[in-house]
Amino acid sequence: MSLDTAPTGPKAAEERVGAKPTGNGGRYSAQSRLGGHAPRTERTGRALPFDDPRHLQAHQWMVEEAYILDAQNYEDWLDLLTEDIHYIMPVRVTTALTAGFDSAPHMAHFDENKYSLSRRVARFLTEHAWTEDPPSRLRHHVTNVRTFATPNEGEIVVDTAVLLYRSRGDVREASVISAGREDLLRRGGEGWQLARRTILVDDSVLRTQNLAVFL
Amino acid sequence: MTDLDLVLGDVRRGMVPAHIYNDEEIFRLEKERLFSRAWLFVGHESEIPQAGDYVVRRVLDDSFILSRGEDGQVRALFNMCLHRGMQVCRAEMGNASHFRCPYHGWSYRNDGRIVGLPFHKDAYGGEAGFKRKGQTLLPAPSLDTYNGLIFLSMDPDAPPLREYLGDFTFFLDYYTRQSSSGIELRGPQRWRVKANWKIGAENFAGDMYHTPQTHTSVVEIGLFREPKAEKRKDGNTYWAGNGGGTTYKLPHGTLEEKLRYVGYPDVMIEKMKEQWSQDQLDVIGRDGFMISAASIFPNMSFVHNWPRVEDSDDVLPFISIRTWQPVGPDETEVLSWFAVDAEAPEEFKALSYKAYLMCFGSTGMFEQDDVENWVSLTNTAAGTMARRLLLNSRMGLLEDGTEVVPPLTREQYAGPGEAHVGYGEYNQRHLLNRWADLLERPAEKVSQVEVSGVPADRAEAGA
Ligand code: FES
Ligand SMILES: [Fe+2]
Repeated sequence: MSLDTAPTGPKAAEERVGAKPTGNGGRYSAQSRLGGHAPRTERTGRALPFDDPRHLQAHQWMVEEAYILDAQNYEDWLDLLTEDIHYIMPVRVTTALTAGFDSAPHMAHFDENKYSLSRRVARFLTEHAWTEDPPSRLRHHVTNVRTFATPNEGEIVVDTAVLLYRSRGDVREASVISAGREDLLRRGGEGWQLARRTILVDDSVLRTQNLAVFL
Repeated sequence: MTDLDLVLGDVRRGMVPAHIYNDEEIFRLEKERLFSRAWLFVGHESEIPQAGDYVVRRVLDDSFILSRGEDGQVRALFNMCLHRGMQVCRAEMGNASHFRCPYHGWSYRNDGRIVGLPFHKDAYGGEAGFKRKGQTLLPAPSLDTYNGLIFLSMDPDAPPLREYLGDFTFFLDYYTRQSSSGIELRGPQRWRVKANWKIGAENFAGDMYHTPQTHTSVVEIGLFREPKAEKRKDGNTYWAGNGGGTTYKLPHGTLEEKLRYVGYPDVMIEKMKEQWSQDQLDVIGRDGFMISAASIFPNMSFVHNWPRVEDSDDVLPFISIRTWQPVGPDETEVLSWFAVDAEAPEEFKALSYKAYLMCFGSTGMFEQDDVENWVSLTNTAAGTMARRLLLNSRMGLLEDGTEVVPPLTREQYAGPGEAHVGYGEYNQRHLLNRWADLLERPAEKVSQVEVSGVPADRAEAGA
């Protein structure tokens, strides 16, 4: 089988029907009690070829965003988000293979809309958010980018893997957070904006003192 | 070498040797003498509502399956196979009628009884060699519940939970019995912080003093209706039974107005009026105090607060329950649950959950700054200098031991125990005094359970 005709991964069949979490996306946003406002757009078909302009734009967007998050330029980051954004990071749990779920029912680390994200950002802009003063040294490593078309012309779904290295002070060990993300990007007047993000963290017990960071 | 008597004596006069927040030897004693005896919160019945539902929870190094049997009863089963000690259940939650050990295939019902033992006849000669009948996964030494909250104790002779909690149940009802259905508990979020477990317990028990400083930022961004963080000093700090906490002083008004002020809808208020005693209602309605954070000795805490959750003037209350699970002298696993009255309207449940996420838990804007402090404190307590420093934990007391402000009278405060208005470290002292009482008493010998054992003189263990 040539690469051109191969499915994009072992679970590609299920991805098409959206039956099972893909390791990135899944139905978390739709199932959240705070996700009622969120866009429901799903991916269609296989990942776009890497030379598709939409993929190139999506990849560039992800890299630019990573730099903004590393620099903690959170006002700029807020501008990248649509008004109807749903930003969700489920709490992962260890379950039996056949259990049919892999996250704590109706519980997440983040389950945010634009208002709550804007409060988080506003807090960092006060001079009294001690947890990030002195700031962490952050590096978001973003890889494994796949882009998918959707039924809507102006929307694409983007899968990425992210590894966040967070170092504070001098004696404490740095913390590392590994996660898969599924994003819905929507084309607006000023380019692509993030309309939905599902963050599937790879730890059931986080090894970081808090999530005063964004993924 | 630590002189334990000296440390405990210092603690009891309100002078805290700083190294107790990061000390291997102290931690070993805590495991051996404190966590071997105290009642420890592990979960809530609403987490395992159906027969066969289970969650796996730890008490320090011991893993327990909290399982609801086909008979509807909740049990805590030590998660170790009776054969060669394999961990029986490796998932964290789910539903199962049986647990099958992956090593050699012994299987157990969800009430712990052994049902399957492959080749029982061939391998053991049947019952003559190994008595399968009556064998069960080892139950936790003690299990008891209050309002559906499940506690374990490693002490088979632990006093009944109700007795252990004492008058703190008065306050527990505010958090966990707002209607006859009680709470539903969701989560927990779990994360590990490089901080000593005592710090969080002390903070939630009574540290009103840190709010204006640590939590300035959440006030500045308009999350609270109260414009100033130092509003806190009008509230009281109470201690009753085996726990204590802090309260906010509410503006004048009727009971209903006060409950509405923190965001409870009338349908919930009506149920509270049915559930709570006159004294419980009076603490809010007559005395004007609303519960906030609290701790039960040793490591369970609560929080109740009422932030804005949307861009409007409305506030909405939330409740969180958590444990500070010790991992080491300088590391704690936080398990933080969101709790909500089971009969609350669905929209209230959703927004209360949002309020929780914004304020507490792994992403909470309050919690973020708390933990930063506690990690730094623990880090600084590791060295030799901390052994030379006795921290003054006597806030609220003059040098001669008289109190800066008198306790509230029965006319001012309808609750049990003792309450003081204003800043004080009463509750941190209560917690550490209990800590000292347990650390002083050497551990008792534990009894052992033999799995189909034989008398020592008959055991011909051939090779
Ligand atoms: S250790 Fe469990 S069956 Fe052998
Ligand atoms: Fe705090």
